[in-house]
Amino acid sequence: MTKEELIAFEEEIAVEFNTGKVRAPVHLYSGNEEQMIEIFRSVQPQDWVFCSWRSHYQCLLKGVPREQLKKEILAGHSISLCFPEHRIFSSAIVTGVLPIAVGAALAIKRQGGSERVHCFMGEMTAETGMANTCIKYSRNHGLPIRFIIEDNGKSVCTETRETWAAERLTFEGGHDPLIVYYRYQTKYPHAGAGVRVQF
Amino acid sequence: MHFLAEDPRVVFLGQAVGVPGTAMYNSLKDIDMARRVELPVEEEMQMGMCNGMALTGLVPVCIFPRWNFLLLAVNQIVNHLDKIREMSYGGYEPKVIIRTSIGSERPLHPQQQHTGDFTEAFRLMCRNIEVVRLEEAHEILPSYHKALQRTDGKSTLLVEYGDYHNEK
Repeated sequence: MTKEELIAFEEEIAVEFNTGKVRAPVHLYSGNEEQMIEIFRSVQPQDWVFCSWRSHYQCLLKGVPREQLKKEILAGHSISLCFPEHRIFSSAIVTGVLPIAVGAALAIKRQGGSERVHCFMGEMTAETGMANTCIKYSRNHGLPIRFIIEDNGKSVCTETRETWAAERLTFEGGHDPLIVYYRYQTKYPHAGAGVRVQF
Repeated sequence: MHFLAEDPRVVFLGQAVGVPGTAMYNSLKDIDMARRVELPVEEEMQMGMCNGMALTGLVPVCIFPRWNFLLLAVNQIVNHLDKIREMSYGGYEPKVIIRTSIGSERPLHPQQQHTGDFTEAFRLMCRNIEVVRLEEAHEILPSYHKALQRTDGKSTLLVEYGDYHNEK
């Protein structure tokens, strides 16, 4: 899937949302297409992908057909998209997927599997105790997992660095083989697509 | 617990499953250590890890020595394990057996923070987890058997009385 195809998909969903065709929240990506495509170069079909409430790009890049994904989004399922046949699991609760991903990785290791786990989170989530705990456990036990931290600077409308009084966040700029960290700027608000929709 | 261990999908996780420390350890001590995972004390992580293992097809037995400790894992129980089947429209059907107890009061009474019983509250919060309070010894084996063998997509939370370990 190309950068242009990813952008086009989210723009299509934005139109659907802004015209009142999605009666549920959507959280759209933009501005991180190149990073996501690069991350997914090393994601295999048998791997597990764990996401938050913003997961359209992960689903597309893991192989969910765009029309199947769109159907699920239009049905109102965007914030907790799950596709067992593609080993995708999402949770709309902050930190929700982190220990679940660790458990999947532990199960793989115990059973001698070759799959890997890829766990996505935002930068505010990465500052929580749960993130630190899960990363520490995974690192110390050599689990087949990596954590991808996506930093758009905000949690809903809250400035992450301002609330933590930190110019530099915990995992920012590090060289941890367990962690992929990238910053991006999105054109979309936290939820929706920038137009007030009256139902 | 030995009956559960006969199923190769079953893994026991928690604090004091691999080393002594609670009354529950006595029911696990003869089980192969390879089937037991001693975890750091981090209840929500423990519960989430069990949910993740269950997604892959294992049946974790997630052990919290007391209800009061289990409260720290509520997010992973109520927002996740209980909702995963509905969130995935039946695609994922994780089966976790949660084992906890009402803290013992005899011969030592550990006071307010160790003797809670939240059975009714959890029954109200959970749609896909059956909460079973084990009132009598003869209920134990059938309840665990049902928890392991059930095919209705539900998980099970089994509640013991700590005092019964010594008295019944």
